[in-house]
This record gives sequence, structure tokens and C-alpha cells, in this order.
Amino acid sequence: MASPGGQGGGALSTRGGGGARRMKWALELSVGNTRSRSDRQGGQGDVVYPIGYSEKPVPDTSIQETDKNLVEKRCWDVALGPLKQIPMNLFIMYMSGNTISIFPIMMVCMMAWRPIQALMSMSATFKLLESSSQQWLQGLVYLIGNLLGAALAIYKCQSMGLLPTHSSDWLAFIEPPQRMEIMGGGMVL
Amino acid sequence: KSKAVAMAKLILLLLNWIFLCCNVAAVFEDQVGKFDWRQQYVGKVRFSHFDSHMQSSKKVLLASESNVFAALNTRTGELFWRHVDKTGPEGNIDALLQHGQDAVLVIGNGHLLRSWDIGVGGMNWEMVLDPGSFRSACLVGHQGAVKHLAVLKKTVISLHYLSNGHQKWVENLPESETVDFQAVYSGGNGEVYALGVVPNSHLAIVVYSLEDGEITKQVSVEAPWLSSIPASCSVISRGLLTCLEMTQIPLQTLGLDVDPGFRPSLVSHQPNPAHPPLSEFLLQLGPEHHLLLQHNDGQIVTLRDYKPALLASFATAGEKTVVAVMAPKNKTACSINLFSAETGRRLLETTLIFTVDPNGGKPEKLHVQAFLKKDDSVGYRVMVQTEDHTLTFIQQPGRVMWTREEALSDVVTMEMVDLPLTGAQAELEGEFGKKADGLMSMVMKRLSSQLIMLQAWIAHLWKLFYDARKPRSQVKNDVSIENLSRDEFNLQKMMVLVTASGKLFGIDSKTGDILWKHYLENIPLNAAFKLMVQRTTAHFPHPPQCTLLIKDKDTGLATLHVFNPIFGRRSQVTPPALPQPILQSLLLPLMDQDYAKVLLLVDDQYKVSAFPSTKNVLQQLQETASSIFFYLADSGQGRLSGYRLRTDLSTEQVWEVVIPTETQKIVSIKGKRSNEHVHSQGRVMGDRSVLYKYLNPNLLAVVTESTDLHQERSFIGILLIDGVTGRIIHEAVQRKARGPVHVVHSENWVVYEYWSTKSRRNEFSVIELYEGMDLYNSTVFSSLDRPHAPQVLQQSYIFPSSISTMEATLTEKGITSRHLLVGLPSGGILSLPKMFLDPRRPEVISEQSREENLIPYAPELIIRTEWFINYNQTVSRVRGIYTAPSGLESTCLVVAYGLDIYHTRVYPSKQFDVLKDDYDYMLISSVLFALFFATMISKRLAEVKLLNRAWR
Repeated sequence: MASPGGQGGGALSTRGGGGARRMKWALELSVGNTRSRSDRQGGQGDVVYPIGYSEKPVPDTSIQETDKNLVEKRCWDVALGPLKQIPMNLFIMYMSGNTISIFPIMMVCMMAWRPIQALMSMSATFKLLESSSQQWLQGLVYLIGNLLGAALAIYKCQSMGLLPTHSSDWLAFIEPPQRMEIMGGGMVL
Repeated sequence: KSKAVAMAKLILLLLNWIFLCCNVAAVFEDQVGKFDWRQQYVGKVRFSHFDSHMQSSKKVLLASESNVFAALNTRTGELFWRHVDKTGPEGNIDALLQHGQDAVLVIGNGHLLRSWDIGVGGMNWEMVLDPGSFRSACLVGHQGAVKHLAVLKKTVISLHYLSNGHQKWVENLPESETVDFQAVYSGGNGEVYALGVVPNSHLAIVVYSLEDGEITKQVSVEAPWLSSIPASCSVISRGLLTCLEMTQIPLQTLGLDVDPGFRPSLVSHQPNPAHPPLSEFLLQLGPEHHLLLQHNDGQIVTLRDYKPALLASFATAGEKTVVAVMAPKNKTACSINLFSAETGRRLLETTLIFTVDPNGGKPEKLHVQAFLKKDDSVGYRVMVQTEDHTLTFIQQPGRVMWTREEALSDVVTMEMVDLPLTGAQAELEGEFGKKADGLMSMVMKRLSSQLIMLQAWIAHLWKLFYDARKPRSQVKNDVSIENLSRDEFNLQKMMVLVTASGKLFGIDSKTGDILWKHYLENIPLNAAFKLMVQRTTAHFPHPPQCTLLIKDKDTGLATLHVFNPIFGRRSQVTPPALPQPILQSLLLPLMDQDYAKVLLLVDDQYKVSAFPSTKNVLQQLQETASSIFFYLADSGQGRLSGYRLRTDLSTEQVWEVVIPTETQKIVSIKGKRSNEHVHSQGRVMGDRSVLYKYLNPNLLAVVTESTDLHQERSFIGILLIDGVTGRIIHEAVQRKARGPVHVVHSENWVVYEYWSTKSRRNEFSVIELYEGMDLYNSTVFSSLDRPHAPQVLQQSYIFPSSISTMEATLTEKGITSRHLLVGLPSGGILSLPKMFLDPRRPEVISEQSREENLIPYAPELIIRTEWFINYNQTVSRVRGIYTAPSGLESTCLVVAYGLDIYHTRVYPSKQFDVLKDDYDYMLISSVLFALFFATMISKRLAEVKLLNRAWR
């Protein structure tokens, strides 16, 4: 469950689906619809019970309670994921230094790309958080975390000198000035 | 001890390694001659001798007016060896005497005697004589052997051994104050004759004994008509001095008519110095009239009258002496015939046709190489020297074996012109250039041009296929004017060279072949030339056009020669007549409706005339007159003045700077090249701010030298002046320095080189101009609106050699870093990175300077051998270097000219836009294919695997 954001979300959804499939008849037991079926079965008489069938629906409710908590927790995990990454990123930033070579550049790219990617797939994340009651708060936290990550990457770019913030970065685009006067001549031949 | 040896080995290894690391910038061995070529010249020939002591010899010795002594291969015209002496009168070759294997030169007005072995070109001996006043020299033979050589000077006569140059005797000439001794002669009888003349009085002959130099006889002959012996006298027969009297009488007694206004001349022939000259001699009576005369028992008999005859010359083969006579045949050809000298009869089957080049000069000299054939008859070859300094070597019956264009040893100015596109490309371009005249015709035209292109492509393929079957050595790249076309990267250009003799050449820059030549007749000796490209090849239907301004410095009058630089032909355009003396010319960026740039000519009344001067041009000139400025510098008066054009094509003086001629004189003025592009407008500092360059296109660098040459007081001055406003931007005076100053002015820097008399060394100095951290106006540059003075930085360096000339590299867009090309007197051309001449080089290294890649300041500039762009191809007496951009940004074309011509390409920032020659296409493509197939296979495998999994 501690697996990070997007992947965790994906895992959750599949597991949810899988759970739904596996627990089909267990769920049917708890809901009214199931009851009618059991009534029907009851109506038919308790002659043929499958082996291992228990009539106690007790554990279901308790599981549902913890599940809700778990979903909440999961959602918070997803929302706080980007924020938790920041100290790690800071450390990597510090370690990689400001020289421009292939590894620091790769790190910076990763650092910049991940929040951007996350922000792009914001809607998917929101869908994940749908089940949570604090959906909006979590969404906000998730957004802030990613923005912070992006800001960190930009700061890293800045400290590495990759941002075109100086006049020298625009030097190549300055056109040569147009000449107003025509001049020529030389020594008297 | 072993430790020391090991250490030394280690150091050697390290040095080797460093050397290998550094050497990558230089040319690889297999690149030699791939895109560079050199042509070596001799100069205008003054003396020539065919090496005749061996029957099979194929050498001709040449001594030239450029102080060069060389031996040529008569079969190919290539140099066997060449010795280049000092320029100027110090190295002047006064006489060339050849005997057997030795050739003796008298050099520097009789200062030096040098003997050379003509076989290998090595020096046998050198003798230093008292300097000055050389008159004549001759070989002295006695009893059939030639062992001595006599040198006559104004006051002394000396005799030297031919074997080692030692003096046998030296004698003062009697009465040398009054008698002007002019010639020395020996007839092989043990006596040496010194011939002198007292002008308009008498002739003095002093006879010396060969053995001890004693005067055996002294004769004086009354000759009031004689003033110069070499001009009008020559010795014939057994010591008979024959003289020509300039007044008509004695000649008329012989019954001869001299062409009016012509100075007749005598030519005698002495085949062997040990024997007296022949009794036959040649007399030239007019420009086309020669006589063969014979002295016979006190009588002079006419053997043959040659009329018309342009040139006549003696030649000896074995015992036989012949006369070769060149007679004009028709307008384009001359015929040369051999005549027996003894009888004057024409020898059979000896006619030789010399085709006169319509673009060359008239024949001037005839050098004949006669030899005996197997059947004992005389065969011959001739070397014809024409007015345009061309040597043509011809064999019977008129086959030109080789031609040497010696005029190219004195190139004055040159330009490089782009070649035209191929015919097909030009056709296509022409189609789009013309105006549309109906849809249908446009389509037809389009189709036809496409068809032509297809045809050309098939022809090209066929040629490739055809050539591929032949062995590689036989495939010759025939470059002719017809198939000239621009290559992909515009690396091949037409070099247009103007030589001092007035001959123009068009040379293909790829191979060095002369594609056209044109001799301009009647060029004054001290003419000034200025070559301008008025229209390039970019405007297709219109032919390219170059204009050469030729100014006679004596009269000041100028003429214009307008020609097509690709074909060398005179243009259809008639140049204007220029009745007024011309001071300067000015090529404007304005164009007339035919895309020819407008040339302004400034006459001595400071009036301006335009060429071409159509209505359109005049209208354009009127519109832009207020922004056209020009400057004139008069070195003699020390005046530097700027003028502005008025709408009526008169001018008004805007500014004037006077440099007092008593203390200093203007040596040179350098503006910026008009085709120079600067890509970067500033320099990035260590803190990533920008220091903007001061790129004033109107800036002039004026160099002055002090008239006082005393080493304590001499100085040079450098003045940076705005040519429009006359504002002095910067002024620097280098004390205790002396010229010659070489300057390069480009972008925002000026580099100059001078001799420091204080430290006795050559120094480089660089000035750079910056606007500062802000641009004043980034869109337009106007000299009239520049309130802030630029920042000036300067630094100087020590250079270990003197230099001959200097130029900066030039590229298409100016992105490539700049190098300075320095021609050294040693014959090397050094490509010195401008990075080393940077006034911002710090003395103390800081973080910022390291960030900026500045090299820490070191006073010495070292010459690294791998910086020589011409490796071992020495270029003698480099006088100028011309640089031109190519179509590739990384590549700059370089031509160095002087006595030799050398062309190469330089890559100041390495070849960043071209794959290397040894690029492994095979490896790359095989890897690519392998990867491609691997992907295909793995994709198939993956599919199979997926399918299997799905089944499971």
C-alpha cells in the first residue's frame, strides 16, 4: 500500500476490480438483492447447502468498515506522494551538483518531467480520489506537491544555468543593426 | 645512471604523446594536395641559357628580374630547382655566365660572385667583392680551355678562377676618372681587353695580360660619335670592334637604311669563350628589319636581309652556328626559320609555327636551343618570351610543349568570384526570373527545362559509368570554361588575378588551371589597380561583371576595363571615358535595374561620376545622396578628409584631419571588408551578462609612422576614425617602434604588428572596442547618432618572427571563430587563432575568466608548427593573402600570392558541418541495417511469444 501515487492507484483499481469479482457472491450476501436470493434458496428449503457454506454474514460489515478507512488512507497516500518525494529530490539535487553533464541533466529531466506528467494526468488522479470524502483537499495537496516538485526542478535548472534568464542567452537572436550611411574611399590612388 | 636513462625515456614518451595530441589540428599525410595547390614562378626572365654541355640535357637556366635563379625542365616546364635571392638592388642579378657544369652569377651591382652547379642546383662557391659600380663580366678562355672570369667595375678589373672563385689578379684601370669603362672582352688569345669610352671624344682600349694582369697595350681611337659601348658596339671576328654610329653617314656608306626613330643594334655571337667570336653578326635596323652581315678581309658583306623579321637570334650546335629568325606570317601566327650563319642560306625543313595568343603580348625575345640530329643536321627548339612575361617552349613543327605565365609572379590584386550554376540550373533559374507570359507557355517552358535537367542527369550518369571502367589514374578532370559550374558547397570559385604587367588571369581555384588570360596593352609601368566585382553570378540572365580601374600615377588619368570574370571577355558595356584624373572609386551597395552595383568615381575636382549612369541609377543616387559619404587620404600632404555627396553629384567636405607631414606620414588606412558578417553582437562574460561589441561599419584604422627613424625617437601611431563624421574614436601612439606596420581591421578589433626598437623584437598589438553592457541602438547603426564613446581595450604580445603580410579569415555567416593568417618571410603561412590576441586575456586567472574560456595572458605568442597551413609548401615572398568565404560556414578559402601562388582551405573551428574524409560509412550503415533487421526479427519473435501466451 505504500507504493507511490500513480502506480498505487492503478494497483488499487485492479485489486478493487479483482476483489469485486472474487467477492461477487459475498457481496450479494450482504445486499438486499442477495438476501432475496438466499430467501429464495431458503424458500427452497435448507436441503442443499454447498459444502463450506456458512450462514453467518458477520465478517462482511467489519471488513467494509476497515475498507473505508483504507481507501481514505490510500487516497491520502496518493495525495501526499509528491510532497514526500521532495526531500528525496532535494538530496539528489544536492548530490548531483551544478555541473552540466549527462547524469545531472538526466536527473533534472526526470525531476521536471514527473510533476508535469502528474499534472497532466490530474483528471485520472481525481477519479482515483473520487471515493474519498476529502477529495478536494486531497486534490489540492496533490497539486501543491507536484507544483513544488516542478518549482524545485526549475530552481535546479536555474542554478545549473539552464534557464534563459540572462541577456547572453538571447544574444544569438539579436540581428545585426542596419547600416544607415554608405561609406567608402581610401588613399588617393 | 640507469635511472636517469629511464627518466629521459619517460619524458620522451610524454613529449611524444603531447606532440601526438597537439598534432591533430594539422593536415594528414593523405590530405596533402587534396584541396591545396602551389604554383612556383620565376619572374620576368632577364638572362637565359640552355644547358648545352651535354647532348641529352634538358635544362634551361633562367635569371629573372625578380632576383631568382632557376633551372627549368625543357620537356615539362617544371622547376628543377630555384634560388630566391633578396629583393631589391641587393639581390639584383647583373650577369649570368655559364660554362660546362658551372653557372656564375654576378649579384648586387658586382658585390657577389656566385657559382652554381647546374646539375643539382648546389652552390660551388661564393666570393664577396667590393660593392658597387659593376660594368661587365665575361668568361676568359686560353688555349682552348676556359678557366677564368673577368669582372669589370668602374675603377678596377679583376680576374677570378672559375673553379674556386679566388682572385688571380686585380688591377686599377688607368685614367678611370675620365674614361668610362663599359665592356670587357677576351678572344681566347691570353689577353683581356677593357673597353672604355670618353663620351663624344674617344674610345680607350686597355689590354691586360692574362697571366699577371700587366698592361700590355693601351690604344685610344678617335670616336666623337660614341657614347655607349654596350648599346652600339660589339666585337666580331678576330678582335674587331664594330660600332654603329648613330648619325646616318657610315651606315649609308654601307648602303643601309634605318627606320626613322629606331635605334639600331648589333648582336654578335661567341660560341666558345676560348675562341674569338664569329665574323658574322646581326644588325637590327628597324622593328621588323634584320640583317645578317659578315666581316671578310676588312669588308662587311650582307649575307641576308630579313624583312619582315620580328626577332633574330644565334644558336650553336656542335660546330654549326645557325640564325633563327622569326617572321610574322599572319595576324595570329609567326613562322620561325633557321639559316646557316656562314652562308645565310635557309636550312630545309626547319620551319616552325608560333601561334600568337590573341590574349597575350607580342614576342619580345627568342631563346633558341639548337642540337645536332643523328644525321648531323641541325634541329632546334625555341623558347619565346612575350611582352606579357610569358615563356612558350615550342618544338618543331609548332607543338607547344609548355607555357609558363611568369606574370603571375607579380600579382597586384585579386578577387574570387562564384562560378555560375550549371546550364540546367541556370535554365531553371532563368525560367523563374522571367515574367510570366501565359499559362500554357509557362507549362511548356517548365516541361522543357525539366527535360533538359533529365538529359543532363542521364549524361552525368553515363559519364560516371564510363569513367568507372577506366583505371583511376586515367580519369582526368578536364576543367574548361564550358563545363565550369558551382559545386554543392561553393568551394570552387574563379580567381581573378591582376598582375603588374597588365595581364589578367582567371584561375580555377580547385585545380589551379589557368582558364582564361587577357593581356591589357599599354599599361603604364607604375600603374595603380583597383578591382571591383560589380555584378556577381547570382543574377542569371545578366552575366557577371568585374571592373578594373587602372590609374597612371604620373598623369593621374584612369581607364576602366570592364570584363566578365568567368570568361575573361571584355563586356558589352562600354565604360565611360574619364577625361579628368581620378582620385578614388567607391562601390555602392545600390544596384541599377540590371543588378550591377553602382561605381562612383571621384575626380580631382571632387566631382563624382557614376558607372553605370542610367536614369534609374541617377534617380537612386539623388534619393540616397545624403547618406553617401567617402573619405580620401593624401599621404603626401598628410590630409585625411571626408566628403558627403550632394544630389547634383558634387560633393561637400564634411571633415578634415591633418597629420603634420614633418613628424609623421600616413602609411595605410584599413576599413572593414564589405562582405564581412558578424554573427554575434557581443561577448558573453563569466557572469553571463553581455559585453556588446562596438561594430561601427564606418570605422577606419589609420596607421602613421614617424618620419624620424632614430631608434629613440621613432614611433608609430594608430588612429581610429569614424569615416562619416571624422570623429576620432581612439588614438594610440607606440613609442620606440618602427614600421613596416601590418594591420588587420575586422569586426570590433584592430590587430597590428610593428618592430619595437626599444626591445628589438616584433610585437603584435590588439585593440578591441566595446559598447558596454547596453546597446545604444540595436536596430540601426548611424555614425551621426552615437553619443557614447566605446570602451577601448588593448594588449600587446611578442612575436618571434617578422612578418610579410597579414589577413583575417572570413566565413559566410561569421559564426566560425576567426583566425589571423600571417605570411612569414620564411615562406610559411601561419594560422594564428584570434583567441590568442584578445585584450581581455587576464593576468590573474579568476573563476569568471575561466568560465569565459580566456587564456591567461602570456607575453609571448608561440609559433606552433601545426599552425602552418602550408606544411612544407613554402610560399616565397608572400606579398598578400586573400580570403573568401565558401558555402560552408566552417570553411574559408585562402590564396597567398607573392612569387608563388598557394591556395588552400582553412577551418578555423574545425570542420563542424562536414563529415570527415575517413568517416566510416560502411560501419554506420551496416550497424543501421543490423539494428533494423534485429528489430524486425525481435518483433516477430515477440508476436509469436504473445500468441503462445494467449493460448496458454
